[in-house]
Amino acid sequence: MRKLTNGQFAWLLMAPGVALFLAIIAYPLVSALVTGFFEQSLVRPGRTFVGLANFADLLGGDFWPVLRNTLVFTIGASVIPFVLGYVLALALNSGLPGWLRGVFLFPWVIPAVVVSFLWLWIFNANYGVLNGLLGTEISWLGQPGTAMAAVIVTKTWSSFPWMMVMLLAGLQTMPKELHEAASVDGAGTIRRFRSVTVPHMKGIAGIVFLLEFIWNFQHFDTIYVLTGGGPAGATKTFAVAVYDTAFKGFDLGHATALGGLWMVLLLVLMVFYLRKEAS
Amino acid sequence: MTVTLSASVPTTSARRRKPVNRSRVAAWIAVAVIGLFGLAPVYWLVVTALTPDERAFSFPPSLIPTEITFDHFAKLAENQQLFGYLVNSVIVSVITAVLSVIVSAYMAYAFAKFRYRGRRSLMHLVLASQLFPQALLLVTLYAVFSATGLLGSYTALILSFTTFTLPLCVWMLKGIFDTVPSTLMEAAAIDGASRWRTLHTIALPLAAPGLIAAGLFAFVRAWNDFIFALTLADPARQTLPPGLVHTYLGEFQTAWPDLMAASFVVSLPVIAAFMFLQRYLVGGLTAGAVKG
Repeated sequence: MRKLTNGQFAWLLMAPGVALFLAIIAYPLVSALVTGFFEQSLVRPGRTFVGLANFADLLGGDFWPVLRNTLVFTIGASVIPFVLGYVLALALNSGLPGWLRGVFLFPWVIPAVVVSFLWLWIFNANYGVLNGLLGTEISWLGQPGTAMAAVIVTKTWSSFPWMMVMLLAGLQTMPKELHEAASVDGAGTIRRFRSVTVPHMKGIAGIVFLLEFIWNFQHFDTIYVLTGGGPAGATKTFAVAVYDTAFKGFDLGHATALGGLWMVLLLVLMVFYLRKEAS
Repeated sequence: MTVTLSASVPTTSARRRKPVNRSRVAAWIAVAVIGLFGLAPVYWLVVTALTPDERAFSFPPSLIPTEITFDHFAKLAENQQLFGYLVNSVIVSVITAVLSVIVSAYMAYAFAKFRYRGRRSLMHLVLASQLFPQALLLVTLYAVFSATGLLGSYTALILSFTTFTLPLCVWMLKGIFDTVPSTLMEAAAIDGASRWRTLHTIALPLAAPGLIAAGLFAFVRAWNDFIFALTLADPARQTLPPGLVHTYLGEFQTAWPDLMAASFVVSLPVIAAFMFLQRYLVGGLTAGAVKG
C-alpha cells in the first residue's frame, strides 16, 4: 500500500466526524433553506415550488410577533444572568471561600427539562410556592405579561451560574499588581473596577455574553415545557414557532421559511462571535 | 487553553491589610442574595419530593416540611413505564458517549498534530456548527431519518447527539493534544512506529483524562436532550426528559411530588458527572477564548 501523506492521514482521521457533520448538520441545513421556497407537508410526499410566497406570508404577519418575542426573551435572559453572574464573580473573587463557587453550579447542571418542571411547580397558580409567599393568586404562566417574565426568570436561573464561572475565570487571570498599583495611586473600588477590571474583562465578557445571546436566540426546552409558546402566542419564539409549524401544523414550507429568516438573523450574530473568537 | 479553575484562594496578606473591609461585606451580601435565588428552588425541589401528597396540595404551602415521606421515590421504583425510559436514556447516552469520544479524538488529533489544506476553515466550521438552530435542523432531519428508515430508532438519536457534541469535545481534546510534545511523537517515528500506532500508544493514553471528560460531557448532552428525543424517537424508545413530560404533564392534575422525586433522580447522574467535569468546563466552553 502506498504510504499516505500527512494531509491524507489527517483527513482519514477526520472522515467519521466530517461525515456526521455533512449528514446531520450541513445537508439538513441546506435542505431546510431550499424547502422554504416550496409548499410541502410533513406527512404527504411531493411538493410545489411557490417562490417567495411563504416568506411573503410570514413577513405579512406571523414573523413580527415572533421576532418581538424572541428579542424580548433573548435580551432579558441574556442581560439579567450576565449582570447576576458578573456581580457574583466579582464577589467570589474578592477573597470569599472557594467552595461557594461549587454551590452555585447546581441550577446550571440540572437538566433543562427538570428546571422547567421545578419552575412550573413554583409558578403553579393553585398550590405554587411563589403565590404562597406573596399571598397572591396569580396565574403566572396563564397571562401574556407575566408568562414572558416567568420564562425569562426560569432561563436566568439556569444560566447565571455558567456566566459566573466564565467571568470568574477571566477575573482570576487579572494580574493583582494592576489593582495594587491603582490603589497606590488613590483609586477607589468603583474607579478600579471601571479602569482596571472592565478593560481586562472586555474580551471574555463579550464572548460570554454573545454566546449566551446566541443560545437564547434559539432556546427551546424551557419555553416549550413552561408555556408551549402561549398564552395566546405571548412566548412564541422562533424555536417554538418553527417546531409547532412543522410538527403540529405539518407545514414544512412555512416552517423552513421562518427558519430561513431566523437563520439570517443568527448568521449576523455568528459572524460577530467568530470574529471575536478569532481575535 | 484549558483553564483550570483553582477555587479563588484569598491571599492571607490581602486579608491582613484590610481588617474591616467594606467591599467584603458587600461581597457577602451579593452572595447571600443571589444564593437565595439560586438555591431556594433546589431546596423546594427536594422538599416537595419528600412531602406527602395531602400536604403538597394545600395552600399556602409550608416552607419547612412538617412530615417527611419516601413514598414518591418508592412509587418511582415500581413504575414500569419510567423504567423503560430510564433504560432508553442509559442506552442512548452511553453509546453516544463512546462514539463521541472516538470520533472527536481522531478529529482533534488531526487538528492538533497535522497541518494541511482546509484545516483552518474546517476548524471554524466545527466551532460555528454548535450555533446553528437545532429546531430548524430537526425539521429536515426528521425527513432525512424518515427517508432512510431510521426514524424512531436509537440510531437516529445517537447519530444526532454525537454530532452535536463534536464541537465541544473536539475543541476540548484538541487543547489536550496540543500539549503532547511533538518530540515524543518524533521519537516514536524514529523507533519505527507508524502514525497510526503513535496515535494509539502514545497520544491517546496521555489524553486519557480528557477523553473521560469528553465522554462524560457527551453522556450529559444525550441524557439532557429534550427536543430531539421528543421528536425523533418513537414512544417505545423515548428517553427520560420527554418521557417525564408524557408521564406527568398534561394530566388533569399533575402529581407534583412524584414529578419532583423523578426530577431529583434524573438529575443525579448529571450532577455526579459535572463534579468530575468542573475543571474542563471553562476551557471547553469558550474553545480557546480564555487564555490562562
